[in-house]
Amino acid sequence: MKDREYIENMIARFLNGNCNEVELQELKTWTETSPENKKEYISIKDIWDASKTPKENTEEQLSIFYRNLYEKARKSRMLWIRYSSAVAAILLIALAISVLLPQKSTNQTENFQVFSVPLGSRSKVLLADGTSVSLNSGSELKYSSNFSADNRLVELSGEGFFEVKSDKAHPFLVKTKDFNVKVTGTQFNVCAYDENNFTSTTLAEGKIELQIDGSNQNFEIVPGEKFELDRKTRKYTLGNADIESEIAWKDGEFIFRNIPFPDLLQRLERWYDVKLNYSDAGLQKFNFTGRFKNQETIWQVLDALKLTSPIDYRKTTFREFTIIYKPLKQN
Amino acid sequence: MNDFDNLFRKYHKRLLLYSMKYVESESEALDIVQNIFVAIWENGKYKQNDELVKAYLFSAVKNSCLNYLKHLKVVKKFENEISIQLLEMEAVHYQSGERSLIEQENLKQINDSIDSLPDIYKEIIFLSRFEGLKNQEIAKKLNIPLRTVETRIFRALSTLKEKMLKKTFFILLNMNFLGENVK
Repeated sequence: MKDREYIENMIARFLNGNCNEVELQELKTWTETSPENKKEYISIKDIWDASKTPKENTEEQLSIFYRNLYEKARKSRMLWIRYSSAVAAILLIALAISVLLPQKSTNQTENFQVFSVPLGSRSKVLLADGTSVSLNSGSELKYSSNFSADNRLVELSGEGFFEVKSDKAHPFLVKTKDFNVKVTGTQFNVCAYDENNFTSTTLAEGKIELQIDGSNQNFEIVPGEKFELDRKTRKYTLGNADIESEIAWKDGEFIFRNIPFPDLLQRLERWYDVKLNYSDAGLQKFNFTGRFKNQETIWQVLDALKLTSPIDYRKTTFREFTIIYKPLKQN
Repeated sequence: MNDFDNLFRKYHKRLLLYSMKYVESESEALDIVQNIFVAIWENGKYKQNDELVKAYLFSAVKNSCLNYLKHLKVVKKFENEISIQLLEMEAVHYQSGERSLIEQENLKQINDSIDSLPDIYKEIIFLSRFEGLKNQEIAKKLNIPLRTVETRIFRALSTLKEKMLKKTFFILLNMNFLGENVK
């Protein structure tokens, strides 16, 4: 039998040093010799384990936790888009069939089809007349179940890029809360979110006619122009547009040129389905220019902003961040 | 802040310490704990009362560690076989209902007990458990024989053990006292 001190030192060596195979075997044999030995070994190791000071930072781990959760949700949402576009395709086939089938039209019982895109997602709808509509995050496209090549009327809330199948005899009509757009064949973007201060349309190709709701003002818009209506004052502007950055979203890109900070936040919120808060009015005077691809996470975007401008950010709760203004030190 | 965040703050470190009983690398142990919190987020169990949540979290960390040991046996085959057997013996012990100090006490109580140790033991705990120095390095740093370091480590731990036992005993006595008063 080895003496007591020998065993004690061996346990200390095992916990915080190097034991060779022979010593390990000796230790194991000792623990198996009696229940007391086993109990002592386990309780000494337990104290040893409990007194460790790990280098972990709980707050950092908490934010890693939410980041992982966010990545996971994003992946499943992308899957959802795939499912939803499959569903949309089926719906549209059904719609096409119902258009082909002769039907008695009873206008009193008109039904509507609604196609809505959740926040943080984008989607594309192909309508029965061959027109395609890309819908941005949080948008809704509503059309009558009578929609056909002869009856081309849709209602939009949110943002959509239309590629309208040309048909001079049957104009395509887009209704928004603030104005109606009438086209024959063309490509244009309409941005009409309920929570925005402005409703706008930008023309890429063709020709559009615009009529402001509740007035008989009509406008003709030519390619490269953007019409913007202030929803409160009802004042409008018509001018040259930056087409590329206006419609980049439909290809999963986010381009912004010289836009004010509040606008940037609003667009990021919608794009990523997050809430971004700020309290410092000093931030409002900044304008931002940049370009992001769909692949970036909100963390990467915020990190990029943090690197290039005097801001910092903090995660407050799930899908919510606070932006902090950090003025640069004057030298 | 919501309940989940507070729960995370309350138990994260303890669960990490628990998994480090078996998992040597801290980053691996952090992964194990993250996965446990993802599970409790997804199954909604974090909304239950604290005792249930705590029991759930610790049994989850025990199971994850057992799985880790199984994985280790497959990967390492015969290498360090005896040390794995020792870990298994420990895991079985806790699986049978015995509770580790990390589970019973909060970390502050453990730290308080460390603080009340004689300086010579406090120093050795600080160097090994906080600074992460191995026995050999401590011997060099303090300029004492390796055997002395080993003896001090063991003595420090068994003194701590006595302190923790006394504390539990004291709490039990207190409870009896209260009980009699009520009668």
